[in-house]
Amino acid sequence: MPRLPDPRFATDCAITVDGDRVSARRGESVTSALLAAGRPLVSRSPKYHRPRGPFCLSGSCAACLVRVDGQPNVRACETPCRDGLTVESQNALGTAAHDLLRAIDLFTPGGIDHHHIGTWSQLASRITVGASRQLAGLGQLADRVSLPWPAAEEERFDALVVGSGPAGLGAAEALAKAGQRVLVAEKERAAGGRLRCRLDLPRDPPLSWVEQIAGAVGRAGGEVALGAVVLGVWPEEGGALAAMTQRGESPRLRLVRARRVVLASGTWAQPPVFERNDLPGIFGARGLLVALAEDGVVPGERAAVLGAGPEAEAVAARLGAAGMKVELVSGEVARGRGGRRLAALELLDGKTVRCDTLAVATPRMPAAELAREAGAALELDPATGAFRVRAGADGRIADAFWAAGEVTGPIGAAEAVEAGQRAGEAAAHG
Amino acid sequence: MARNFICRCEDATVEDVRRAFEKGYRDLESVKRYTGLGTGPCQGKTCLAIAARELLRLGATPAEVLPFTVRPPLHPTPLAALAAMDPATLSLESGVPVPVPPPAAPRPSAALPAKAKVVIVGGGIMGLGLAYNLCRRGVTDVVLLEKGYLTAGASGRNGGGVRAQWTTPTMIRLARRSLEIGERFASEMGINVWFRRGGYLFLAPTRTQAERIEKNADLHAKHGLRTRILTPLEAKEVVPELDERRFVAASWNPDDAVVFPWPYVWGYAARAEALGAKVLTFTGVTGFERQGSRITAVETDRGRIACEVVVNAAGAWSRDIAALAGVKLPNEPERHEICVTEPLKPWLGPLVSNLGNGLYFSQSLRGEIVGGMGDPNEPHAIDTRSTLRFLARYGRALSECVPAAAGLKVMRQWAGCYDVTPDNNPILGAAGFDNFLQLNGFVGHGFMMAPAVTELMAGWMAGDPPDEIFERFTLDRFAQGDVKGEDFIIG
Repeated sequence: MPRLPDPRFATDCAITVDGDRVSARRGESVTSALLAAGRPLVSRSPKYHRPRGPFCLSGSCAACLVRVDGQPNVRACETPCRDGLTVESQNALGTAAHDLLRAIDLFTPGGIDHHHIGTWSQLASRITVGASRQLAGLGQLADRVSLPWPAAEEERFDALVVGSGPAGLGAAEALAKAGQRVLVAEKERAAGGRLRCRLDLPRDPPLSWVEQIAGAVGRAGGEVALGAVVLGVWPEEGGALAAMTQRGESPRLRLVRARRVVLASGTWAQPPVFERNDLPGIFGARGLLVALAEDGVVPGERAAVLGAGPEAEAVAARLGAAGMKVELVSGEVARGRGGRRLAALELLDGKTVRCDTLAVATPRMPAAELAREAGAALELDPATGAFRVRAGADGRIADAFWAAGEVTGPIGAAEAVEAGQRAGEAAAHG
Repeated sequence: MARNFICRCEDATVEDVRRAFEKGYRDLESVKRYTGLGTGPCQGKTCLAIAARELLRLGATPAEVLPFTVRPPLHPTPLAALAAMDPATLSLESGVPVPVPPPAAPRPSAALPAKAKVVIVGGGIMGLGLAYNLCRRGVTDVVLLEKGYLTAGASGRNGGGVRAQWTTPTMIRLARRSLEIGERFASEMGINVWFRRGGYLFLAPTRTQAERIEKNADLHAKHGLRTRILTPLEAKEVVPELDERRFVAASWNPDDAVVFPWPYVWGYAARAEALGAKVLTFTGVTGFERQGSRITAVETDRGRIACEVVVNAAGAWSRDIAALAGVKLPNEPERHEICVTEPLKPWLGPLVSNLGNGLYFSQSLRGEIVGGMGDPNEPHAIDTRSTLRFLARYGRALSECVPAAAGLKVMRQWAGCYDVTPDNNPILGAAGFDNFLQLNGFVGHGFMMAPAVTELMAGWMAGDPPDEIFERFTLDRFAQGDVKGEDFIIG
């Protein structure tokens, strides 16, 4: 059952993937279409040419780079489907599914030490350089020259909120209530952040709350911009300057000057570390649940869920409700098994878990980049290696900058809303 | 087959990180550079935490696993998008990341010795090249002090170009020697520097610029270089993607090269250490003890080292180091910004530079387009923050020069500092004190000159008769008013 049997999820267009016709829903991501079609193998790894597939499903990990309509290195998970869209795999002698360069992986069991290979003679070194140049790089240069983007006009807002998850919307709510014109920049195609996973944990705000806040922001003269990818926020006299690409039919660059910035940028999915942890079929749990909830994608038949605690349990419940056989794995994984797709996990305690899908629900990494650019201090969690942004009680991290939500460390959605509201209020009056 | 990946973008494994750590690359900035983790299209979003956790498990300290510097843009962004901004509305003052004092310093690489014959200040390619060449000449009692990690300064931040196309016989001679050394570096030093003779193509957008390159080409011919002046259509045979309407002539030398800068630095450091020199990272110089016309010891943030000779090879920080000894150098640090795009299969052979606006770009061995351009409004200061203004200027300049590049996505930008002198030539030899030698002021071309210059400098310090560069590029030339300048500076 590749998709939930719900008429909402019926396919209505077709894309071409390495010459094959794949049915899709208009507007869903290419990765959703591929997973629904049972094709988690999307690309080849850069050095060893191992089979790779999408992991995060939310635009952070770059494991799903493909050529789309002649443009190289495009993330499949960020590409909306439409009829006739042409997707080609890259960096393969053949296709991602059948890549002759896979031999590199098979013949270098000890790995390739790129610093020392071929340094035994000048001739060997020349050959190494020549061969490496041909093997390196992912896609080929674009087939055609891209059109110029329209000139960026400067826009002014009272406040910029980065991220539309619980914390971002909490901040936007408080700012709008104080009469501020707010721009909420959301890189995804829908607002809500982790609420889009429908984890339905106790005290989680309902999805209707997202619409309610978007309405309040609009009434105060602001905007919740979907597909607005913030590239950087540059502190300047009296506030900050942000640059963002606005995705859509005709993409444009937005230059936004704001007096206050609330960073509610959330977290990035982190893969688990075990032997062959790169097999297609291993996904960040949140990305997977969004594909399930919004596109009806059922990624396989047997799922293992890695992690512990309420979120991991909720992930297991959602996948189970979608008809998958689910096992929650809280022990350490020794290695993955499988060829072109995950087939089983071997645990350190000797147990084997048969599965074609692994949903990773272990702690994620705070998306601290923008906060760090603004000068925020970090705090290390030695257990996970994750760094979180250290913020004051009201979320302040620097002049004109506040942070709230999971970017400041693990926090439930309801608490994140409150932290966002505190930061928003402080930003409105600070 | 143990494949346990930490960074999928670069296929870097747990084993790669362990190997780097055992080699002494303990801090996350160094591990990133040595293993490549975090340098691919996701820019560390998917590996930073697991890399830090792995290093902690291996025994790194919390200070050593501080995340590597964050670099805009947060998401790969096409040059066409960046070109949509008007640079005139963007400020050079507004840069990121805002510097924050680190909570603690990573541990230095070795204990501080009480004395040394030669103390070199600065662990860039100049200092390390000198340490290595001194050892080769039998002077092994050498201590090198670097305040950060190796490759933290301009030696780790430049575009890696090495060209013989210069405007004086001296510079041509030095550059050719550097090219020879570069060609053999991998096999002689045992580390790949990805030396590739893809050539240099200088574009002259005006008649005046064309006359400049024509004059240079005559000089090059006299010195045996294969430089040729090309028409725009001939230049398109070298790089078919060029917009030929943007320039009137080009200067082409197929023997110029591009290298990967980091392993040069590591290679010199490893071989210098193997021959007896001590390379101390995370050790900053705080002052000098002086007696009459001599410096007698170097003070550091970890104690003092008595010494016979001090070499100031601190790049953009050379002026500040000299000031600690009460010596005034005319050098000024100047930020230069640079960026890389997503990796593509090879399509661009040479390093291309536009003499009209200072734009330069080449394709690295990893397939990324690495390029930058100087900003005429850049103030003189140590500043390594990245600006949006640079992205706008570079986006415009590159997509004008190569329209097919407009779709290329910028993955990461950063900045380094040139060490600028009034005549764009270096400062070499004693200054202020008999035993305080300068090896600085290389104005953005130190990386390419270092192999040749450090070989000559080590020879001179070991007793060879001085090369003419040590008589010509002295500090007192400025007092004597002899400042015929080098004008072929790019970037």
